Amino acid sequence: MSFEPKILGIACNWCTYTGADLAGTTRLQYPQNLRVVRVMCSSRINPSFIFRAFQLGADGVLVGGCHPGDCHYNTGNLYARRRLAVTKKILEFSGIEPERFRVEWISASEGNRYAEVVTEFTEQVKQLGPQTKFKISR
Amino acid sequence: MLKKTTIDKLPDLAAHLMEQGTLLAPVQEAAGFNFQVIADAKQVDLNFHNTVLSPKAAFFPQMEDFVRYQTGKSILEAVPVELNLKPTFLFGVRPCDVKSFTIMDIHFSGTGLVDPYWQKRRQAATIFGYAFDLDQPAQAEEFYKTLGIGAADPDGSDVFMIRKGGDLLLKGVTLKGEKLLTQLSLLTAASADEEKYFEDYIIRGRDFKTRFTFLADKNIAKKLEDIFHDSDFWMKVSGACLSCGVCTFVCPNCYCFDICDETLFSQGIRRRVWDACMFTDFTLEASGHNPRTQVFQKLRQKIKHKYSYHVRKYGVISCVGCGRCTKHCPVNIDIFSIVEEAMKA
Amino acid sequence: MASSFKQIEDKLKTEAKKLLKTGQVSVVLAYGKGYDDNHPMPYIAKLPSDADNIVFNEYCTHNLARYLVRYPKGTKIAVAVKAADSRAVIQLIQEEKVKREDLILLGLPAYGMKNSKTGEIIDSQTTCGLYNPVLYDTLLGEEVHGQPVVSPYDVLAQYEAMDKDARFEFWKKEFDKCIRCYACRKACPMCYCDPCFIDQNNPRWGEKSPQSHGNLMYHLTRFHHLAGRCIDCGECSRACPVDIPLYLFHKKVAKECEEMFGQASGMRIDDKPVLVNFRVDDSDKILE
Ligand code: SF4
Ligand code: SF4
Ligand code: SF4
Ligand code: SF4
Repeated sequence: MSFEPKILGIACNWCTYTGADLAGTTRLQYPQNLRVVRVMCSSRINPSFIFRAFQLGADGVLVGGCHPGDCHYNTGNLYARRRLAVTKKILEFSGIEPERFRVEWISASEGNRYAEVVTEFTEQVKQLGPQTKFKISR
Repeated sequence: MLKKTTIDKLPDLAAHLMEQGTLLAPVQEAAGFNFQVIADAKQVDLNFHNTVLSPKAAFFPQMEDFVRYQTGKSILEAVPVELNLKPTFLFGVRPCDVKSFTIMDIHFSGTGLVDPYWQKRRQAATIFGYAFDLDQPAQAEEFYKTLGIGAADPDGSDVFMIRKGGDLLLKGVTLKGEKLLTQLSLLTAASADEEKYFEDYIIRGRDFKTRFTFLADKNIAKKLEDIFHDSDFWMKVSGACLSCGVCTFVCPNCYCFDICDETLFSQGIRRRVWDACMFTDFTLEASGHNPRTQVFQKLRQKIKHKYSYHVRKYGVISCVGCGRCTKHCPVNIDIFSIVEEAMKA
Repeated sequence: MASSFKQIEDKLKTEAKKLLKTGQVSVVLAYGKGYDDNHPMPYIAKLPSDADNIVFNEYCTHNLARYLVRYPKGTKIAVAVKAADSRAVIQLIQEEKVKREDLILLGLPAYGMKNSKTGEIIDSQTTCGLYNPVLYDTLLGEEVHGQPVVSPYDVLAQYEAMDKDARFEFWKKEFDKCIRCYACRKACPMCYCDPCFIDQNNPRWGEKSPQSHGNLMYHLTRFHHLAGRCIDCGECSRACPVDIPLYLFHKKVAKECEEMFGQASGMRIDDKPVLVNFRVDDSDKILE
């Protein structure tokens, strides 16, 4: 059986989550590996969520937010951009593959792009294989 | 009867013990020596002064699983974790640390409420005490002499070991130890001279110099009680303290623990982990109230617990002067100096 | 010529005494005698006579900025600062934990500081590589010049060059040693949260037991919380009883922050910490 990665998606309420809705209502096809959690803003994402997701067995984490400048709260994603950039560097230096973590800006009208990103990211994580470094084993 | 072997043959001795059970002995690590379960007999190294962490973890591991359970299921389905102990050999314990085991026994088995984990581990273990090298000066941090512990006291050990040049002299102190030694065929009988050397060494060890202040248990306990409310004193001595957990975690006589549940999805483990009176949440009550929030209160608790409350309740100071707390304190706080100052205060 | 430790010590005593006598400050944070010369301690002088107990030598590595947040707001404090310590003070001012006007900074220009556990020289190895305080009111000695200028990030090269699997193994081995005594966070001038995320019970961010995964969670999150704030004093690593080289990770994060956001921590009072700040034109490249 081929490896089906488990991917955590964290999407902001106003853009990416709505974009995902649009992808659904337009009946676009994309892989089902992504489990999406909705947050009000990408700046609500505590970096520990990402570390924890990997510990609990996620093979990849995809964060989606509004395009810079479009944030519902004006500046949330600008903070998030800096913070998540640091998260990525920390993941990289700790030795986990940084490609397992991605941040994308997807607006409410970009249903197509949502489907594309999810497809592409799923493919990428599939290539990387199961994530075992952080995963808690008991 | 006194037995002997050479230091070169240490790996053979270790291998023999490993055949009979689990061997815990000092091993050189990056930050210093520590007791480890020995997998390779060649690892055992007696060229250490003392270990970073005390050997208490042999009987009171930092993490001890009690029960495994599934969340959402009946408590009746929870499974207690069995201790499957093999005979254990705790090899190369310094006399002050050996003494700490007898003090810890008070809490874990001496008050009528027996902690089965401690007790079973303790019963499974044979302790090989190991005299300090009397030709080397004691380290600046140590003060076991103040607490009446000799540098070569065999009390509390099952087997006691003294090094003589390239030889290692071993004597059974308890029946268990003696029996074990007779089974170890690689040991040879020691000569009468060596016998004398061994006995003299023990006596010499009693006069071995470490930092020393005369301390009568009762007086110090009383004195500390009297100055409990002298906040100025306590603030002064704790000014630098960070209230971290180093001094308690390295201490052979600190036994506070926390019981916590660690769950992973529906699988839970209830376990005991070390806790420390220096931690913020140590005294945090369910109501949210915390009676001991300030650093000076925490350090006062630590010192008074060892030198006052413990004496009043059990008649013995709960410190063996190993000096680990001082040596590893990030800001060089020295419990001995504080006790000395308290006597003067 | 730089001043000797003894000269600095004398000046520190005089200055502390003066400040306490005139009542300009109620507390002087300095160093005092420990149980031997190689183990001095942070010392808190409150009376003019206390100033006589002050010492300063190459083992006075502790970052005294750590103690500032303990005092009620508005307390007038004089604090002895080496280079990294002054950066910690600046960072604390940026974070509004202390006010510039409440502080008198007694600058200690020093090189050749040594780790009292190992005796190794720590300049630019485990600390930020500066010799002169970045900010001070009085400099208690002559500025240090002519010492080699070494990037504090040079020590990282070897680790950056590692293959990621090897690096993971390296960190796993280090973190597995952790006994969760929390000396690292307690020694850190920038770790002042109460409660610390790892002590929270609801939500529970990571395991309390000293096991691989809990340790990983504690350390990675702590590195993240210190991103753009760690001023590279190295105290965390020196405090660690099992010698985990935490400073390496902190340095790496600091280096990345400096490269991405163009600002080093604790250098100017009017800066804003990089992670509570943004620029509209921050590049998306940083996410790659
Ligand atoms: S005495 Fe030292 S080791 Fe103990 S809590 Fe205070 S700073 Fe930490
Ligand atoms: S209090 Fe310090 S000296 Fe006393 S037993 Fe504990 S670690 Fe050793
Ligand atoms: S993380 Fe370490 S090096 Fe950085 S400021 Fe804190 S103690 Fe200093
Ligand atoms: S000081 Fe060292 S052992 Fe203690 S919690 Fe920090 S990393 Fe772990």
